Amino acid sequence: MKPIIKSCQLLSLLMMVLAGQGARLVAQEQCGVCHPESRVEFDKSRHAQEGVSCTDCHRGDGNTLDTEAAHRRGFRSLGDRQTSPAMCAECHSDIEKMRPYNLPVDQYAVYQISQHGQAVARGDVKAAVCTDCHGVHDILRVGDPASSTYSRNIPSTCARCHTDASMMEPYGLPVAVVDDYQSTVHGRALLEEGNTAAPNCTTCHGVHGATPPGVGDVNKICGACHDQTRQAFIEGPHGEAMVAAGLPECASCHSNHAIERFQPDDVISLCGECHGVESEQATLGTKMHTLVDSAAEQIEEAGLIVERAERAALRIEDYEARLEGARTYLTEALPLVHTVTIEPVEQVTRRARSIAEEVQHEIYGELDRTEEHLGLALFWFYVLMTLVILVLFKRRLRAASEPS
Amino acid sequence: MNEDKPTVLDWFSRRLNLTEIFSLLTSYGIYYGELDSRKPLKEALAEAEKRPVALYSRWPRILSLIAVVLIGLELLTGGLLALYYLPTPDSAHPSLGTILRDVHFGDFVHQMHFWGAQLLILVLILRVIRYFLGSVYKAPRELIWVFGALLLLAAFHLDLTGRALPMTDQGYWSSVRALEIVGAVPIYGPLVHFLVGGDGAFITELTLIRFYVLHVAVLPIVAVTLIYLYFSTIRRVGLGDAKHGNEVQSQRVLRSQLLTMAIVLTLVFGLLVTLAVIAPKPFEREADPFATVPGVGPPWYLLAPFGFLEWMPSFVPQWIAGLILFLAFTLFLAVPFLDRSTKGSMGRWVALTIGLLIMVAWLVFTIYGGRVA
Repeated sequence: MKPIIKSCQLLSLLMMVLAGQGARLVAQEQCGVCHPESRVEFDKSRHAQEGVSCTDCHRGDGNTLDTEAAHRRGFRSLGDRQTSPAMCAECHSDIEKMRPYNLPVDQYAVYQISQHGQAVARGDVKAAVCTDCHGVHDILRVGDPASSTYSRNIPSTCARCHTDASMMEPYGLPVAVVDDYQSTVHGRALLEEGNTAAPNCTTCHGVHGATPPGVGDVNKICGACHDQTRQAFIEGPHGEAMVAAGLPECASCHSNHAIERFQPDDVISLCGECHGVESEQATLGTKMHTLVDSAAEQIEEAGLIVERAERAALRIEDYEARLEGARTYLTEALPLVHTVTIEPVEQVTRRARSIAEEVQHEIYGELDRTEEHLGLALFWFYVLMTLVILVLFKRRLRAASEPS
Repeated sequence: MNEDKPTVLDWFSRRLNLTEIFSLLTSYGIYYGELDSRKPLKEALAEAEKRPVALYSRWPRILSLIAVVLIGLELLTGGLLALYYLPTPDSAHPSLGTILRDVHFGDFVHQMHFWGAQLLILVLILRVIRYFLGSVYKAPRELIWVFGALLLLAAFHLDLTGRALPMTDQGYWSSVRALEIVGAVPIYGPLVHFLVGGDGAFITELTLIRFYVLHVAVLPIVAVTLIYLYFSTIRRVGLGDAKHGNEVQSQRVLRSQLLTMAIVLTLVFGLLVTLAVIAPKPFEREADPFATVPGVGPPWYLLAPFGFLEWMPSFVPQWIAGLILFLAFTLFLAVPFLDRSTKGSMGRWVALTIGLLIMVAWLVFTIYGGRVA
C-alpha cells in the first residue's frame, strides 16, 4: 500500500508543479487531492491569498494523504449551520488577527443580536448564517465587484432569500421589497447608474446586525444622508407627533422600500390621508407645493431664455451663474418643506423666483430687436429712394438713345 | 475749350494704361465687350459704346451679374472677418464670439457673409438650370456650361470649408456629414480626406488650417478664375442663346449696363441686409468632437446626394453608391458634349425630358435626405 500512496503523492506533486502552481502550493496541504472542487474554489478566495489553509478552519491533518489520518486531530466539517458563525468568529473576532486588515471584530457580536442571528440561536437554522451571504470556500473581499457582498450585488444577495415566498411566509415578511427597491431612486442610482455610494439594503438595515429600523429610528437612518431634511423634520410639528402616534416617520409619507419623490398631485392626497382632504393642513401642503413648483417652473423658463440668449451671441456667463444661485435656493426649499411651515419655504422660493424673473427680464431687454427692425425700415426707405433715382437715370438714358 | 487743360484722368492715362485696367474689369461682367487697349480710355470707351451688343443685364442673363456681385461681397466681408478669425480648434469658436460681440458691425458682417454664400449657391444653381432650359451649351457655347458647373462646384466647396471654420456644433457635424458623402466617391473622396488631414470622422487642427487655406485662398482664386474664363468665352462667342441668337437689343450698352448693375447691387444688398436682420444665423455652441449632435444633416444643397446614399440598400457597397454619384457629376459636366440635338428636333425633347427627370429626382432626394437627417 505504502509505495502506491507514495507514488500517488509524488505524482500529484509533479502535477501541481507542472500545472504552474509553483513552490507555494507544494508546501501547502494535500486536502485538494481528494477534494479538488473545494480546493479550486478556495484557491480563488481572499482567504487563500492571505495564506489561510484548509486546516485553519477544518482542523485535521493536511499533510497526509491517508484519509483516516487526515480526518483525525479534531477535524470538523463546519456543516452545522447553528455553530458555523462561531467558527468564523474564532478568527474574525480576534483583534490581533484582524488588526492588519483593519477589519472590525464586533461582526459576530452584532450578528448575534440581528434578526438572522437571533433566529439561528433559537434553532431556526433557515435564517442566514455567514456563508449564506459570503459564500463557503470562495469568499471574496467586499470591494471585489465579483463578490456577493459588493455594494451593487447586495440587493441580489438579499433577494436570494427575501424574494422566496415559501421561505418568507412563516415570518410574515413581504417578498416585494427587493423589486420595490430596484424601482426607486436609490435602486436606480446603484444598479443602473452604477453609483456605489447610493444606499443598498445594508445601508438602512445594518450589515451583520440586519434588523428593520423601528419607529423613532427611521428619521435617524434616513437622516444619515438626508441631514438637512431630517433637521427640518424634527424642528417641525411632525417630528415628535409622529413618533408619539407610533407612525414610522419618513416612511409614513415616502414609503419604505418603494421610496419615490412626490408627484404634484400626490401632495394633496397624501396630506389628506391623515389630516382629511378638506383640512387646513392639506391646503398648507398644496400651498407649499405650489411655491416650490412655480419657482422651479420660473427657473426652467429662465434657463430656456438663457439658451436663446446664447444663440443670439449674448454673454450668458453672468446669467448662468445667477440661475445657478436660484437653483441652489430651490434645492434648499426641498428639505425646508419638511418643517411643514410656510414661512421658510416661502422665503427661499421667493428668492429663487425673483432671481429667475430678473434674469428673464434682463435677457428680454437684451434680445429686443425693435431698434434693428426700425433701422431696417429706414434702410429700405433709402434703398427704395436709390432705386427710384437709378431707374429715372436709366429712363433718361433710354430716351436719349432712342432718337439716334 | 478746356481741351488743353489736362484733367486728373489725363495725368494718369499718360502714366498708366487705363484702358487695359478697365478692360480687366470688363472681364468680370461690368461690360463684356472688347476694348481696344491701344487707345486712350476715353476713346476706347466711346468706341465701345458705339459698338452694338446684346443687353447683358436682362433677366435671365442677370444671374451671372448677381453671382459676380455676390462673389465680390463675399470677398469683402470674408476679408473683414479674416481680420479677427483665428484658425485653430481651440480659438476658432471664441474668435467668432469676439467677432459677434465685440467687433463693431462684426455680427452684421458675419451674417452678410453667411447669407451671401447661401444666395450665391442658389443663384449658381438657378444659373445652371437656366443654361439647360435655354440650351446655352450648344456649340460654340459648351464652355459656358462647363465653367458654370465648375463654378457651382467651387461654391459648394467654399461653403463646405466655411461651415467648419467657426467650430460650432452644427457646422462641425454638418461638415463631417459632408465629408462622409465626399468620402463615398472613389478616388476623389480618399484624396480629399488625405488633403484635409482627417478620416472624415474628426476635424483636427490640420483639417481646420487646410480648410482655412482652401476657403480664403485656393477656392476664391478658383472661383474668380472661373468667372474670368466665363466672361472670356462670352466675349468670344456672344451672349445669344438658341432663341435670340446674337441679336442687338440696344446701343449705349455701357452706361445702361453700369446703371443696371447699380440697381442689382442695391437690390441684392437690400435683400442680404434684410435676411441678416430678420433671420440671423444663430451663434451655435462650440463643437465637441466626442458628442455627436443628433439631427445634424449635411448642408441643404448636399441633401440630395446624402438622401441618395441613405436610400441605397445596405447590401450595396458604399463605393458603388459613390461611383454612381461620381458618374452622375461627370455626365452633368459633359452635358454639352452629350446633347448635340438641334432646336425643335426629337433629340432636344428627349434631352429636355431627361433633364427634367433628373431635376425632379434631385428634388425628391433632397426632401428624402431632409427627412432622414
